[in-house]
Amino acid sequence: MSNREIVAENLVKHYGDVKAVDGVTFKVDDGEIFGFLGPNGAGKSTAITMLTTLGLPTSGFASVGGYDVVKQAGEVRRIAGVALQDIGLDPIMKSMELLTIQGQLFGASRKEARTRAHELLEIVKLADVTDRPVGKYSGGMRRRLDLALALVHEPSILFLDEPTTGLDPASRRDVWEEVRRLNTEKGMTIFLTTQYLEEADELADRIAIIVEGKIATEGQPAKLKSDVGSESINVMFSDVDTAQKAKMMLEDMVDRAQLDRKTLRLYLPNGATQIAGVVNKLNEAQIEPLSLTLTQPTLDDVFLQVTGQRFEDEKEAEKQAEPA
Amino acid sequence: MATITNETASEYNTTGSSSDRMPFLLQVSMMTWRSLLTMIRTPAVVLPALFISGFFLFVYEATLGNAADGIPGLSSDRYLAFILPLSIVSASLSGAGIAGQNLVRDVENGYFDKLLLTPISRSALLLGQILAGAVVLAIQTIIIMGVALLMGLESETGVAGLLFVLAFAVIFGTGFAGFTVGIALRTGSAAATQGANFAFFPLTFLTATFVPVDLLGGWLKTVAQINPITYILDAMRSVLLTGWEADAILTGVIACVVIGGIPFLFALNSLRARTRRQ
Repeated sequence: MSNREIVAENLVKHYGDVKAVDGVTFKVDDGEIFGFLGPNGAGKSTAITMLTTLGLPTSGFASVGGYDVVKQAGEVRRIAGVALQDIGLDPIMKSMELLTIQGQLFGASRKEARTRAHELLEIVKLADVTDRPVGKYSGGMRRRLDLALALVHEPSILFLDEPTTGLDPASRRDVWEEVRRLNTEKGMTIFLTTQYLEEADELADRIAIIVEGKIATEGQPAKLKSDVGSESINVMFSDVDTAQKAKMMLEDMVDRAQLDRKTLRLYLPNGATQIAGVVNKLNEAQIEPLSLTLTQPTLDDVFLQVTGQRFEDEKEAEKQAEPA
Repeated sequence: MATITNETASEYNTTGSSSDRMPFLLQVSMMTWRSLLTMIRTPAVVLPALFISGFFLFVYEATLGNAADGIPGLSSDRYLAFILPLSIVSASLSGAGIAGQNLVRDVENGYFDKLLLTPISRSALLLGQILAGAVVLAIQTIIIMGVALLMGLESETGVAGLLFVLAFAVIFGTGFAGFTVGIALRTGSAAATQGANFAFFPLTFLTATFVPVDLLGGWLKTVAQINPITYILDAMRSVLLTGWEADAILTGVIACVVIGGIPFLFALNSLRARTRRQ
């Protein structure tokens, strides 16, 4: 029976001595957006290659929609939509031609395929550039057309390999929006690889961090973040004495209070709900803070904890709260 | 990214319903149409082979045509029919490379992967490119023949003979297209595919290129007698110059099957090799 789950059990892929994927086990549930997060060369694309039947595993088992990716590759191809990291478009063809061919190969009649192609071009906002060869498209347009190609046969499970790598922020938002829509409206299970922490955080219900072919940790982004450490409310005062005084007052309210010169860091599980309390206490004591910020642990912190190194190019994600 | 498929699974274990799969012949014709479309849009790939062959026909006829009276069995007014098959065969050889180049292009731009992700038959993917190459070869041969007719070509066996030569050229060239497709699959490299194609170009000179094979001497005669192209040229020439000769035609057909069939098997084998590697 077909379902919408993805299962990998001790999946291994070696290229000679290189262990690209080295014993990966996970399960993606029906209707879930699952993020496979990792730096370049971590084995994300190799994993997708096996799950989408383009490559055979060295060992281990994987199934997509209940079908064995090795023994039932034909069935997997029929229910899975795939947009690879390297966009697979023939630059001298036109969008309509590519979509029609793709649709027909999946068993649609020419007429059906054309109707579907028109629909998809509307969805990915490319309906007004159909007479232009794909080679003349911008990077964002190509990415959107590639996504449309992956959707031709209305797949129940969608694989997106680094869908926003190389896109500008606006195009990235467009892709995110579309991914969410497919997930909520169509109930598609989505397996997404990304090297952007923000993307995994934004989109995925659950993520696995993959490093050097192995899953370093796995779980809901919020859970992973809260596991790694609690949020902190950082209050800055005009002088050290005031800060000291505030610390004495607020210590009981939080898990841990730490004074760093004029800044008081209050570590606690639910920062946002506690801000009011902190501000009230300070008001009662007539202490006026200079600034107040709420810092949340990021996936970068999670990454640091599980790998011992920071994720590259990752900037501090701090949520600013206005001073009271 | 490397492009490898899961051949075993797709070809041998299609346990699922086949109703949502396009019929094989339709797949092949669609892939052929699609390849032709890309060829039409990149005439720079198709035209050189045609130009060179037309050029050879012209130059050889101009330089050697008048001297042909001195060649036993030939005369200046018949030399055009003698040299035409050479022009057609060399056009087929270089034209055959188009199929391989087209495939490399697909592998490079990732479209090959996209097609592999559909339930398409793996052989349809190859056949599409090869048949599109065959169509181009046919058109190319017809154009060269048209030029020859304008130059005063007379066929001993009339239009039927010309059609026979056309069929020969297409079968031979299509087999050879299989060879370039095989190289394309094995290397995924445009340069290697083009190189492999040119490696066979000397074959058209290590044969009865300008004079009948009996007039060749020494090592060249030996090589020419081994070279299957000699027999293909012989068959074409005999049809154009003397009429339907069973012997020449039969050896020609055998040569055609050898030089066309082996590369084709090579192509299929390359596809399997490629799909098993990863």
